[in-house]
Amino acid sequence: MTISEIKEKTMNRIRESKGTVFLTFIMAMVLVSPLWAGEPYKKIDAVTLQKYKGWLDDPRPLTKELPYSKILPAEVYAKLTWDIPTMKKAWADVVGFAAPDAVGKIAPEIKPGKYSYKDMETKAGLKELVIPYFRDHFFKPAGPPLIGNFSEMTLIPTRQLYFQLPVSQATKKNAGKTKLDDKGYIIDRSYEAGIPFPKPSGKFKAQQVVYNWVKRYWEAESSDSVGQFKGFNRHLKMDFDGLIEIKTLNLAGRCVIPPFGYLDERARQRKEASAVLLTYLAPRDQYGTALNVLTYEAADAFDLNTLYINSLRRLRKLSATDSQDALGGQDIIMDDNNGFGKLCSTRNPYKLEILAEREYLVPFTTDGSLYFSSKGMELKNVELERRPMYVIKMTQLDKNYVYSYRIAYFDQETFILYHIENYDQKGRLYRTNTSFTTFVPEMGMTTQRTVISRDHVDLHSSLALPFITPIVHLKRSDVGLEGLVGKGK
Amino acid sequence: MSTKLFLAVALLTLVFFQPGPAFSEEFLVGGKPFSIMGYVTQGGAVSLVEKNKPDTERDFQSALTNLFLEMAYKPRDDIKLYGSGMLTADWMYDLKHNDRSWKDKGFADSRKNLYIDDQYWQLLKEAHVTWTPPNWNIRAGKQIVGWGETDGFRLIDQINPLDQRRGFADVEFESTIIPTWLLKTEYFPAHKPMWMQDLGFEFIFNPNVTWIKNQPIELGNDVGGIWAPYVTGPDFKDLSPLGVPGLGFIPTGALGALPPPLQAAAASFPNVASRIGSADVTLDRPRSGSTTGMEYAGRIKTIIADSIITLNGFYGRSNDYVSRSAAAPPRMTTAEDGAVIIHPQLEAFYPYFKFVGATFSRDITPLKASFLGGVAPVLRLETFYAFNSTFSNQITNEFVKKDELRYAIGVDWKVKIPLLNPRAYFTISPQFYQQKIMSYGSERKELAGLYENNYMTTLMITTSYLHNKLVPSFFWMRDRTNKANFFRYQLGYDYSNVWHFVIGATTFDGTKEGQGFDVFQNKDQLYFKVSYKWG
Repeated sequence: MTISEIKEKTMNRIRESKGTVFLTFIMAMVLVSPLWAGEPYKKIDAVTLQKYKGWLDDPRPLTKELPYSKILPAEVYAKLTWDIPTMKKAWADVVGFAAPDAVGKIAPEIKPGKYSYKDMETKAGLKELVIPYFRDHFFKPAGPPLIGNFSEMTLIPTRQLYFQLPVSQATKKNAGKTKLDDKGYIIDRSYEAGIPFPKPSGKFKAQQVVYNWVKRYWEAESSDSVGQFKGFNRHLKMDFDGLIEIKTLNLAGRCVIPPFGYLDERARQRKEASAVLLTYLAPRDQYGTALNVLTYEAADAFDLNTLYINSLRRLRKLSATDSQDALGGQDIIMDDNNGFGKLCSTRNPYKLEILAEREYLVPFTTDGSLYFSSKGMELKNVELERRPMYVIKMTQLDKNYVYSYRIAYFDQETFILYHIENYDQKGRLYRTNTSFTTFVPEMGMTTQRTVISRDHVDLHSSLALPFITPIVHLKRSDVGLEGLVGKGK
Repeated sequence: MSTKLFLAVALLTLVFFQPGPAFSEEFLVGGKPFSIMGYVTQGGAVSLVEKNKPDTERDFQSALTNLFLEMAYKPRDDIKLYGSGMLTADWMYDLKHNDRSWKDKGFADSRKNLYIDDQYWQLLKEAHVTWTPPNWNIRAGKQIVGWGETDGFRLIDQINPLDQRRGFADVEFESTIIPTWLLKTEYFPAHKPMWMQDLGFEFIFNPNVTWIKNQPIELGNDVGGIWAPYVTGPDFKDLSPLGVPGLGFIPTGALGALPPPLQAAAASFPNVASRIGSADVTLDRPRSGSTTGMEYAGRIKTIIADSIITLNGFYGRSNDYVSRSAAAPPRMTTAEDGAVIIHPQLEAFYPYFKFVGATFSRDITPLKASFLGGVAPVLRLETFYAFNSTFSNQITNEFVKKDELRYAIGVDWKVKIPLLNPRAYFTISPQFYQQKIMSYGSERKELAGLYENNYMTTLMITTSYLHNKLVPSFFWMRDRTNKANFFRYQLGYDYSNVWHFVIGATTFDGTKEGQGFDVFQNKDQLYFKVSYKWG
C-alpha cells in the first residue's frame, strides 16, 4: 500500500467514524460531568410535591408532611430560622402592636370554632366580620360558574405574625429614611432595606401601606418554586393545565441573605430591584418557554422582559408596557401579578385612599390541609382568622386602563396583600385575586399555598398552587440570560 | 415503513399514553423527573379551485397525520436529556390510491416522497444532552438552533434546514424545521462591562454527521405532489404523424429551423401546451461525514440599554442548491390532458455560504399611546452581508459569485380596538425585507429567480376571544418584486386543555406568469386540523 493510499484509507475511516465519535462525546458528557459538577441541594419538583399533596381531594397537611426542616440542608435551615420570641418582640416593637391585641373589637361574640355559610344569616357579627366579597362570592355552596367557594370554615385564633429577624432589624435601622415626594411616590435612592413605613401615618398613609407591600419580604429573598396552574370554564371544566418553575432573586433591599443591600455593584448602579425567571413545564405547547423579568426600582423605569420562545428556539424582547392583556389561559394580567403593577406618576397613576381600618376574617391554611374537592371544586379545610386590615381603594386615573379601580386588603401587622378586587371602566367587578397563605413561625415567613383568581365578566376562574423553597445559593446568572437559555427548550 | 407498522406504532402510542391529568405523564426515574409529552394531529385540505386544473385535485388534497412524542429527563439540575420523534403520513395516498384523476395527474407517483416520512432523521427529530455548569451551556446532539427576529421567512436563521414539501397551510414548527447534529457551546462571562446588562458567546459546530439540507417543494406532480408549482412552458407541435425520424414534439419557436416544406406541413398541426415537470438533477453534494460538509457559526448575544443585540457569523454550505441547465436536452413526457411535460436536465451543487450579520430588538416606549392600550411597539431588525454567494446566471448558464446584502425590519404592536374586541388586544406585526445583490449585471433578469433588488413585505394580525380560546389570525405575504401575494386566514379554537381545532384557508395570486406565488395560483385551499395533546 502506498503512503497516499494509507492516508486515503485513514481519512475514510475518520469520516466514517465521525458519527460514532459524536455519539461517544454525548455519552461522555452524560457520564463524566456529574463527577465534578456539584448540585446545591435537592429541589422540590412537581412530581415530588404530588407525592406529598395532590391538587384535588387531598386533605393531607402539606406543611406538616413537607416542612422546610425536611427540605433544606441543616446549615441552610439554620441560616433562615431565628428564635421565635425574639422575632415576635422585635416586630411588635417596629410596628407598635401585636395583632391579637388589635382585634376582637368587632363582634367579640364570634369566637374561634367551626361555622357554615348559613351562620351568616343568624349571626350578624359573623356577617360583619366577613369581607363583603367573601360574603357574596366565596362563603357559599360550591358550584358553577366559579371555583373555590367554601360552605364551611374554621375560625382560628388570631396570631401575631412577623418577619425574619434581620428584616425587623433593617426596618428599625432605616426607619424614617424612606421619603415620599409631594405626590406620594418614593424618592429614588431614599429606600435602603426593611419595610419602609412600619407605622403608616399622615397625608400619604395609603401610599405608605401600599409601598410596604411593594417592598415586602414575604417568602424569601431568593427562592426556587414550582407552581401548578389550572383554569376552569363557567361549567367548572378544566380548560388549562399548567406547570411553572419560578426562580426569584431580590437585587435590592437585601437584609436576610448576604450580600446585603444591593446584590452587586451592577444592581446598585442600575437600580435593579428584582429578577425572576419563569420556566413553563406544561402545558405541552408551552414546555420549554422561559420568561425573564428584570424590574427596576425607579418608578418610571420599564421592566426588561425577555422571552425564550420554545417553538422558535429564539429569544424575543417583550414590551414591558404590555401589562394589561390577560396571561394565556389565566385570569390575571401582568399588572395583577404583584397586585397592581408599578406605582408611577407618569404611567397608569393611581389615587389611593384608605376606605377602612378594621378587622376582617382573612383566609389562611396553617397546616396546608386546604384542598379542592372534586364536588363543585369546593374549597375544604378553609381557615379564617381575624386580622387587623387596611382596605385601600386604588382609583386609576387613566381612563384607558383596563380597570377603573381596585379594592385591596392589606394586613396591618405585615402589610401583606391577601385579597384584591378589580373593577372595569364600567364599574363592573372584573377580576379578583385571593391568596391563602401559610405562616412559618420559625422562619418569620409567609408563603402562598393557594391563589384563586376569578374573572367575573368571562365567568372563568383559575387556581395556583405554588410551593416556594427559599434558597441561599441563587446567583444573578441563574435569573439572567444564562438562566433563560439554560432553562429554555 | 409500511402502513401497518405505522398504524401499529400510532395505536400503541395512543393506548399507552391515555388522556389524564398533567402529571400522569410525569414519572420519577432515579428520583428525578422524567416527562413525556406529545400530540397527534389529523389535518386535511380541500381545493378551493373550481375548475379542473392539471396541478391540483378538485376535492380533498391531503390527509396529513402527525404523531409527535417528546421526552425530557433531568438527572441533575445542570444536566438535561431531551428527545423527540415524529411520525408523518399523508393518508391521501391510500385514500386516492385507485382514484383516476390522482393517478392520471401523476400525484400517485409522488407517494415515494410524500406518503410516509421514514428516513431516520425524519423519525428522530431531536436527541441531545444539555449540560449547564456555571457560566456555560453546552448542548450536543440532534438539535435546533434558532437565530433571528423575523417571522414567516428566514433571513439569518440558517443553521437548520427546513422541510417545506407539505406546503404553506397550517404547519407546526416541529414538522418544518429539521434538527441536525450539532455541538453548541455558549459561554456567559461572569464579568462584563457595566454598560452591558448581559452577555453570551455562542459557537456552533456542525460535524456533518448526516448531510441534510432544505427539502423544498419540488417541480412536477410526480415528485412534488399536490404542492408542485404550475409553471407553463412554450407551446409545442406534435409532428410525429409526419413520420420523419427524430421529429416529435418541437417547440413552436424552433419551427423556423426546419426545412420550408416541413414548416408548411407543421403549420396545420395544432399547438400543444407544455408544463415544467420534475427535473432530473445531477446533484453534487458532500458525503455525510466529510469535512467539506462541516459548518461553523458563532454569535455574540448581549443586552444593552434594554435592547437585545446579536452579532452573527456563519461559514458552511447553503441550505439550498444552485442549479443550471445540463448539456443534455430536457426529457419530454406527455400528460393525461395531452400537454407536454418538460423535465429539465440540471446540474447542481450546494455552494459555500458565508455571512456576517446582526440583529436588534427593543421596545420603543415613547410610542406607547394610552388610547391604543398603552403598549409600546417592539422593533426588530435583522441583517447579514454574505460574501461570494453563488447564483445561476440564466443568460450565460454559468454559476457566478456575488456578494449580497439582506435585511428585514419588523414591528410587533399590540393595540386595543374595543369596537372589535373589548377584552383582548390585537397584535399587528408588519415586516419589510430586501435582498440586494451586488455587482448585478446590466441585464434586468440576469440571475434565475432574482433581480438586483428583491422586496417582500408581510403582515400578521391576530387577537383572541372567549378567554383566549378562540384565536383568529390573518397573514399576508407580498412578493413586491414579482407582484404576487400569499394570504392565510385562520381560526384556532381550544376546545379543552387537550383538544385543539384549526380551520383556515390559503390563497395565492401573482401577475407575472411563472414568477413568485403565481406558480401556486391553483393551490388555493381550505384546510383543517384536529389536535390532541398530552403532557
